[in-house]
Amino acid sequence: MSYQEKQNIVNIFSGLLVTIIYALMVYQRHQQGQFDLTDDFQTWGRIFLVFIGISVAVRIVIQIIFHIINAIATREEDVPLEDERDQLIKLKATRNSYYAFTSGFVLSVLGLALGMPVHWIFIAFVAFGLIAEILDNGSQIYYYRKGI
Amino acid sequence: MVHKFTTTVKESEMAKSSIQNNIRKLRFHAGEMTQQELADLARVSRQTIVAIEKGNYSPSLELAFRMASIFKTPLEEVFIYKGDADSS
Repeated sequence: MSYQEKQNIVNIFSGLLVTIIYALMVYQRHQQGQFDLTDDFQTWGRIFLVFIGISVAVRIVIQIIFHIINAIATREEDVPLEDERDQLIKLKATRNSYYAFTSGFVLSVLGLALGMPVHWIFIAFVAFGLIAEILDNGSQIYYYRKGI
Repeated sequence: MVHKFTTTVKESEMAKSSIQNNIRKLRFHAGEMTQQELADLARVSRQTIVAIEKGNYSPSLELAFRMASIFKTPLEEVFIYKGDADSS
């Protein structure tokens, strides 16, 4: 398995890990009555901003740990250089994730139009953001294995 | 000793791309150059050379010319266009 494939697998699991743990923490606070997620949109804004910050920080740490473990396991210290094929694969994967997120956004708006509660759109953003990210990394793994 | 290279791309893989290549043969004639050595000279990863050799990736025009330059041979001796793979 190539460095890029391993990195994408780590990205999928770190994305799932961070999102699920953070979502559970927020839901727990909601149940304890610390804030009301069904009506307080300012809190949703804060939750998203904190999530972005935590997500970036945790992923950086996970990437560093992955690089160290990979270097020990494979005895290859250098990260492989990114060439035109890598860039093309990333571009195609980004396109796929964009389609997924856009579809999610449209479905969310459709849900609003059909009378779903407004707070569901925030939950849908998180869910489709996660799906889009998994699709991004999954697509990269697929293209690395099957070719482009 | 005569080495015969039948084809560098398997029949099943040929359908993927209309571009075939002689990189395996050219590497052999270039003093059994390894994929890693070619990758270093072409400034790409070894995985990209593997993908090109297998017909899983068609390189950019710039990379194709760079590879031809490495082998000191015309571009059409490195890559062969076999027409539209889907057309009969």
